[in-house]
Amino acid sequence: MSRVLVPVVFSSLLISGLAFAGSDAIKQRQELMEETRDAAKVIGGMLRQKQPFDAAAAMAGLQVWKKTAMEAGDLFPEGSESGHDTEAKAEIWTDREGFNQKLTDFGTAVDAAIAANPDSLEALGAAAQPVFKTCKGCHEGYRVEKEE
Amino acid sequence: MKRLAFVLGLLVLAAGSVLFVTRPVGLPEDSSPAHQVDLANGERIFYAGGCTSCHASVDSEPDSLELGGGLEMETPFGVFRVPNISPHAEAGIGQWTMLDFVNAMLLGTSPDGRHYYPAFPYASYSRMSFGDLIDLKFYLDTLPQSDNQPAGHSLKFPFNIRAGLGVWKLFNLKPEYVVTVPEGDLLLQRGRYLVEGPGHCGECHTARDWTGGMDLDRWLAGGPNPEGEGKVPNISPHIDGLKTWEAGDIEYYLESGFTPDYDSVGGSMVKVQENMARLPAEDRAAIAAYLKSIPALGSSGSD
Repeated sequence: MSRVLVPVVFSSLLISGLAFAGSDAIKQRQELMEETRDAAKVIGGMLRQKQPFDAAAAMAGLQVWKKTAMEAGDLFPEGSESGHDTEAKAEIWTDREGFNQKLTDFGTAVDAAIAANPDSLEALGAAAQPVFKTCKGCHEGYRVEKEE
Repeated sequence: MKRLAFVLGLLVLAAGSVLFVTRPVGLPEDSSPAHQVDLANGERIFYAGGCTSCHASVDSEPDSLELGGGLEMETPFGVFRVPNISPHAEAGIGQWTMLDFVNAMLLGTSPDGRHYYPAFPYASYSRMSFGDLIDLKFYLDTLPQSDNQPAGHSLKFPFNIRAGLGVWKLFNLKPEYVVTVPEGDLLLQRGRYLVEGPGHCGECHTARDWTGGMDLDRWLAGGPNPEGEGKVPNISPHIDGLKTWEAGDIEYYLESGFTPDYDSVGGSMVKVQENMARLPAEDRAAIAAYLKSIPALGSSGSD
């Protein structure tokens, strides 16, 4: 390969690699949010008494939230600001510190809920409500409202 | 030449008449009814209106009740700067009379006789009751003072000409209710009052027409986000809106911030929801009942 072609090929590989990483991250975080919401639906459904209390299912839901708290921060890399109907706001990248703090607040509340190991509907309410309160922490300033 | 002068004269006369007809007005001095002040009701109306969402001092802590203003609202018309409405005598509204306050809220007229810009949602507040306004003013007077003096608005021509707002009011200041509800249905009447009046839900959830006013034929059917990217959802009982939500789901959303699918409240609705959560449950139930009762309109505007 010529001296000109090599850098061109490499840089285009690099760019497409970045773009791929970006779109990959968007899909991964969208899936993670879906899982998070499904877990919220299970726990919230119990709290609203739409389904019976089930300690194991509740704990499984809390563990999903734990996974979200651990993984979400890494799923907003540079290069994943747009595309794939992302609802991520530019502020995630311009105010990463603020975003990380909100994510940490969520993680702290989840850890406390897991530590409480709720074995009744009342205990689940006391453990999960503080977590529910942190969801809007990120969604207030770092998510574009697109959905109906 | 004579004809030109005549035409010009007519134009000046016409412009003068328009300005006269649309001049800022206030209520007569003796308008205030006899009223037993109820501070608890004033606080309730304060949260129904969500005054803090816009007027909280920009540098204040969350949940602060210091209404020193200073928030900058970037809009297509230019930058609006939210004023200080704390009870500070010079910087705020501490020296306003009750009538000054009522004129601002119902008619969009300032104490010095100027039109307010409708970024201050008086097109909705014009439906509020005199008694609630009196209670609200007394409640506001109990809040902390702030000496913050935000700069004035920076608007583009021709929006920087306040006198032109009289024409806007002619089209858009309609204090009658948007939706008809049955005479004896107190729940729906309460919900309508809260949504169409102090709650000023239509200001964001209703698309605007060419005059920049709420398009009442698209009442609560959603629209573009007035504050930037994204959309404000349709909250009419259409399939594009809240058709699949039960009234209890709407109440739960306003109380907790979660949709039936457990999506969380976001954007500028977060502050609205937190204010709604402070209302008595019966008010959230009234709002839910009203929203389920209004005409179902699609988001596209096709029906």
